[in-house]
Amino acid sequence: MELDDLEPKELEELERKLRLALQRRPAPLGLKQRVLAQARQRRLEGRKVQQGRGWVLKRIAASVLLAAAFGGFAVYRQQEERRKGEAAREQVLTALRITNRTLDRVSDHLVDESK
Amino acid sequence: MKRMVFLAAIAALFLTGAGAASAQDQLPAPSPIEKQLAARAEHVTEVTLDKNMLAFAAKFMDKDNDKEGQAARQMIQNLNGVYVREYEFDKEHAYTEDDLEGLRKYFESSEWSPMVKERSKGHAEGTDVFIKLVDGKMQGLFVLDAEEKELSLVLILGPIDVDNLGKLGGNFGIPKDAMKKAEKKVVK
Repeated sequence: MELDDLEPKELEELERKLRLALQRRPAPLGLKQRVLAQARQRRLEGRKVQQGRGWVLKRIAASVLLAAAFGGFAVYRQQEERRKGEAAREQVLTALRITNRTLDRVSDHLVDESK
Repeated sequence: MKRMVFLAAIAALFLTGAGAASAQDQLPAPSPIEKQLAARAEHVTEVTLDKNMLAFAAKFMDKDNDKEGQAARQMIQNLNGVYVREYEFDKEHAYTEDDLEGLRKYFESSEWSPMVKERSKGHAEGTDVFIKLVDGKMQGLFVLDAEEKELSLVLILGPIDVDNLGKLGGNFGIPKDAMKKAEKKVVK
């Protein structure tokens, strides 16, 4: 249907409706604030999601670092214990060697005395 | 053979059960005389191992798979302490009779029974062997041997198995290479 086909009355009615629809109306009270608040909320939510992802990554990195630190410490302690153990073993061997030598000398004295 | 005679003498004394004494598991603090001797000595070896340290060291002796090594490990596992001092001097008689007497008195107590007492006339030399018997069992051995250029002090606390000592003839169950290694590490 084209405008030329309309009756003058119908055309007037259409014009009236259009004028009414295109009439400038003031925005409802508080609309600006609501729009701005909503935009702010969306921005915040987006940031939270990003922060959440960052936190997970940080946690993973911290866990890896902690595991590496604990692992390193455990290896260090094991090596330290082995080193101390070997030192103690050598001390025991030194003590036994001196004891053996001293007892041998005492035995020699006793045998010499008995002769 | 000489060693066997000496061990037999120890065994005989311990079998008599004479001189039973109360248990004393603690190692003594170093005698003040030791410091003076160490200052005069050319070479000093000091080993002090308490019960915990001996048990710890025994764990690391597991790799000694030979019989003597195992016997040595078994022996130290049950000991309460080992206290060994060896002083080597470059001059003869670098220590006095008073030093020796001080050491004897420091380590002697009523718990110890004298077993060997040997003195050289005119020289500060001699040998002392004391053993500690508790309920007829040998619970300690103290040896002070003073030679011309060497002074050795050995104190072993804890149950000493005479048979085990006998088994540990020769190098006391110490492998030759371990002995060389230990000698290199001796405190200068």
